[in-house]
Amino acid sequence: MAEEEQSLITDEHRALIGQKTDPVQVTITEEHATRMRDVLEDSDPRWADGTGVAAPYAIASFGGRPSRNMPFILPNGLLTQQEWRFTRPFRIGEELTAVSSVVDIRERLGGRYGHSVLVTSSVDYYDADGKHVAAALSTLTQFDPKRATKEGGQ
Amino acid sequence: MTQRYFEDVNVDDEVDPVEKMPTADLAIDFFGRNNPMNPAFADAEHGKRLGVGGVLVPGMLKIAWMVQYVNDWAGPESQLGSIRVAYRRPDVADRPLVLSGRVVDKRDEEGKKLVELEVVTLAEGEPSVRGNVQVELPSRS
Repeated sequence: MAEEEQSLITDEHRALIGQKTDPVQVTITEEHATRMRDVLEDSDPRWADGTGVAAPYAIASFGGRPSRNMPFILPNGLLTQQEWRFTRPFRIGEELTAVSSVVDIRERLGGRYGHSVLVTSSVDYYDADGKHVAAALSTLTQFDPKRATKEGGQ
Repeated sequence: MTQRYFEDVNVDDEVDPVEKMPTADLAIDFFGRNNPMNPAFADAEHGKRLGVGGVLVPGMLKIAWMVQYVNDWAGPESQLGSIRVAYRRPDVADRPLVLSGRVVDKRDEEGKKLVELEVVTLAEGEPSVRGNVQVELPSRS
């Protein structure tokens, strides 16, 4: 007889939804911007040397990671959804203010990861004038690899 | 790199496919050798513990390639608005990925000439990442 699955999400976890973290200062450095561009062999003139502009994917140097207040309910996690939005291009060396929050926490029974928890978090980036520059939204699927195997995951 | 104009784009236009080879070295260099990152991006044993079967290709490397792919297609006067992706299954390093894309919508929104593309990465012919990218193109007029 199958055991009834207990929810892994507590009231404490739910209370995190919508709470914004304290602002953090972040900067896309020339080293990060140049390295990422060169690794991708990206010859786009908009972010060539001397332009002072970073390619949009330079957001990965700080922005794709989950929110700092994201709860870790299960031991492993894989990024399963991601969104980047850009209001304007990044300037190399510009200090931005990052504010992150947990957007949603839900769980899923069955499938590749067995009983998993999906945590969606967002980070918004603002310039010195308080104007929006970019945002990153990501969903981390948290799972226990032992349960994923036992429950027939791939 | 050539410029694409809003008037020249039609729904169902296809973007020429591009092949990428994700290696562990490339992933490490993308994030920076001295920067923290998921050990599964460099170590096959960590990847196996995640159920991946080898060195895991970082999602952020794949989304960065998708951004580059659309920017290359759109041209230097375009403006990327957003990219939204679903990582449908993990990719393992040293297996080629083919990026492929198609225009799914074009519209004028308060004077902005917006084009939306569906972009996928294909591993052995099967989609591993599906994405939607919105880009603003210049007008000829």
